[in-house]
Amino acid sequence: MLTVKHLAKSYDGEKKSLTDVSFSVRPGEVTVIIGPSGAGKTTILRSINQLIRDDDGEILFDSTDMRQLNRSQLRRARTRIGMIFQNYNLIEPLTAIENVLHGCLGTKSNLAGMFSIYSADEKQEALKLLEKVGLRDFAYQQCRNLSGGQEQRVGIARALMQHPKIILCDEPIASLDPKSTITVMDILRNLATAEGISVLINLHQVDIARHYADHVIGINNGQVVFDDATSALTDVAVTNIYRKDANQEGSLMYEL
Amino acid sequence: MNSDIQQVTTFFNKKRFRLTVLILILGMAYVGASFGLGFQTQSLLGVQDGMIWLLKNFVPNATSNGYWSEILQQLYRTFLVAVTSTTCAAVVSLFLAILGAKTLTVSKALSWLIRGFSSLMRNIPIVAWAMILLFSFKQNDLTGFLALFFMTLGFLTRAFMETIEDFGTEKIQALQATGATYLQVIFQGLLPEVAVALLTWVLYMIENNVRDATLVGLLTGTGIGFIFNLYFKSLRYGAAGLVVLSVIILVVTVELISNLVGRLLA
Repeated sequence: MLTVKHLAKSYDGEKKSLTDVSFSVRPGEVTVIIGPSGAGKTTILRSINQLIRDDDGEILFDSTDMRQLNRSQLRRARTRIGMIFQNYNLIEPLTAIENVLHGCLGTKSNLAGMFSIYSADEKQEALKLLEKVGLRDFAYQQCRNLSGGQEQRVGIARALMQHPKIILCDEPIASLDPKSTITVMDILRNLATAEGISVLINLHQVDIARHYADHVIGINNGQVVFDDATSALTDVAVTNIYRKDANQEGSLMYEL
Repeated sequence: MNSDIQQVTTFFNKKRFRLTVLILILGMAYVGASFGLGFQTQSLLGVQDGMIWLLKNFVPNATSNGYWSEILQQLYRTFLVAVTSTTCAAVVSLFLAILGAKTLTVSKALSWLIRGFSSLMRNIPIVAWAMILLFSFKQNDLTGFLALFFMTLGFLTRAFMETIEDFGTEKIQALQATGATYLQVIFQGLLPEVAVALLTWVLYMIENNVRDATLVGLLTGTGIGFIFNLYFKSLRYGAAGLVVLSVIILVVTVELISNLVGRLLA
C-alpha cells in the first residue's frame, strides 16, 4: 500500500532531520508513529504527500514513487491521500459543509473548484459524511464557531470526501480535550477496521498508541528504532524510543 | 546575595542613564534645529493672535451660505474620484499582492519585482505624483484619479501582501494536500480567510483618499481643492472656511460608515 524506503531529509544541509527511514503501512491498519519532539515525525508524514520535499529515498504509494511525479501527477496522487492536522487547518470563515466539499477539489475542473460549483452527488455525500462524524446539524455553521473536537471531525470529513486510501494524521489530538480525543480516535480506528482505509498517525501519547494501533513505529533522532506490532511495545521498548543521546542530554541541562 | 542585588541596581541605573541621554539628545536636536532655522521659541507665545484672526475671517458667514450648492457639487466629484481610484487600485493590488506574497508567489524574482514596484509607487509623495501627471494629463479629474491610483496601488499592494503572508502556509498546505490547484487554493482558501481584512484596508484607504483628493485637486485645479484655492485667492475667506468644514464633515462621515461596515463584516 505505502512503502517508505531510505527516506532522508536535512533542513539546513548539515544536520540530518531524517536519516535512512524505512517502513511500510498495510491496508486497513492503524499505524502510529511515536517518538520525542523533533525526532522527525512530522517530516516523515509531510514527505509522504510531498508537502515537504525530502532529499533522498523512495515513497511508494500504490507502487508509484511520489518523489518522481510531476506537478499534475502529484496533484492526482494527493487526491487519494487524506490529511488531518493538529490545528485542523480548516478555512475558518467558511461553513462546515464548504470545508468538507474542499475534499473533492482535486477531482474537479479548475473553474468549478474556484467558484464552488459542486454536483448533487457531491453535496449529498458531504452531508452524509457530516452525519457520519455527528455534525449534520452543524453543516451551515462557520467553522470558527465550532469547538476543537468538532473542527477536527470536519477535518476528518474533508479527508473522507477525497475517497482516500490512506489518511495521514499529524498530531490529530494534541490540541483536544480527553473526551474529544476519544471521539476522534474512535472515528479513525473505525475507518481502518470498517472501511479498510489505512490510517497513519503521529502521536505523543503512548497509552493512546497502545490502545488504538495495530502497528507502531518508533522514531528517535531521525531514525526508526522500533517497528513492530503493538503487542511488542513493552515499557523497555518505549524507554528506548524516548531515550536521549548524549548531545540532547547536554542541551537539556542548559534549559534547566 | 548582596552582589546579586548590586547587579540589579546597576542594571536599573544603566537603563535610567540611557533614557536620560536619549531625552537630552532630543532636546539638543530641537535647540540645534531652532538655531539653524532662526526660529524663536518665544514667538510661540503670540500664536493665539494668529488663531483669532483665522477664526474671525474663516468662520462661514451669511454670504458664504450662497456657495453651498457649488461646494456640494465639487465635494461629490472629489468623493467619486477618491472612491473610484481606491477601488480600481484595490483590484490591481490584489493580483499583485497574491503574486508577490512570499507564501504564494510563483517565483522569487517576481516577488521582489512587485515589492520594488509597490515601494516606488507609495514612496513618491502624492503631491509629486499630481505635479508630474499634470504635465501629461492637464487639469482634469483624470490627473487626480491617476495620482491617487498610483499612490494607493503602492500602499494597498504592500498592505494586502502582508495580510496574505500572515495567513500562513499551513492552511494553504491543507488544501494542496487535497489535490487542489493553485487557483482553487486562492479562491477557496485564501480569499475567504482574508476578505474582511482586505476590505478594512480598502475602507481605510477611501477615507485617506478623500482627504488627499482635496490636496490633489488644489494642485490639478479640479474638485473641492480647486474651489478652495479659488475662494481663498479671491479673498472669500468665509466660503473657503465653508469648504474646509464640508471636507471635515465628509471625512468624518466616510469614517463612520467604514466603521459601521467593518463592524457588520466582523
